[in-house]
Amino acid sequence: MNTAEAILVFAGIPLAIVVVLALLTLKPGANRRPRYKPGQAWDHAPIWFEPHPAHAPAAGHGGETQAIGSSVYGERHGGDAAATHAVSGGQSHGGGASTAHAAQPAGPLGGARGTW
Amino acid sequence: MTRALEVDSHDTATATTGAARTDEGSRLDEVFSYKELARLDEALTMSSRETGLRFTLYVGELRTPTRTAAEELHARSGVHPSDSVLIAVSPGQRVVEVVTGAGAGRRLPDRACALAVLSMTSSFANGDLVGGVVNGLRQLSDQAGHPASLRH
Repeated sequence: MNTAEAILVFAGIPLAIVVVLALLTLKPGANRRPRYKPGQAWDHAPIWFEPHPAHAPAAGHGGETQAIGSSVYGERHGGDAAATHAVSGGQSHGGGASTAHAAQPAGPLGGARGTW
Repeated sequence: MTRALEVDSHDTATATTGAARTDEGSRLDEVFSYKELARLDEALTMSSRETGLRFTLYVGELRTPTRTAAEELHARSGVHPSDSVLIAVSPGQRVVEVVTGAGAGRRLPDRACALAVLSMTSSFANGDLVGGVVNGLRQLSDQAGHPASLRH
């Protein structure tokens, strides 16, 4: 084994292994969204999530569904289809289903508050 | 490894159905991934169906005082705010507010809400927003139980 072979075996192979492991470690995290950490600023637009309406036809039941929906909750029709139930824009968007409701009193309010 | 289908066609809307969510241009998974959105969706829908109350979740900045802001949001949260429950999470301010209407408050006493808030904040402190909300919803819906009209 001459010098060139020795370098190739004892430096080249370990280096190749290290490079492969480094690529495997760093590559999957390259396009991962930043995870929320307590204390960091939250500069996303507000989102308001609503439940699906109880009367929505379930997929596969009844003849109302005209297209194969991507959701198990079935398709919505007419003007209702435009209003999203799962994700509606917050105040900044103004187009969400939630914001359409007028404010009305709900009697004495209860609940709880927490900080972390 | 799950990601939204990349499509260039934008002719998904029909006369009776809306366009595909991926065609609307805005990045829906900017804050939460699609997997997390599905978890939130299922938790909100199932807890609302089981209890007959209407659970909504607000994630975003709240004006100070946050309690007043959350109560104003609750008043606009649906057709019957009396029977609705609002969970307002503001990760930037590190505040979570649970607001129950008068009808919902009879089945969800403040003590039960405080317990759910406690479990939510312990998850939030670990950086798990979606997990905390899902667990909080589970606790709230367990506490509220089934309404008399849905009982067999």
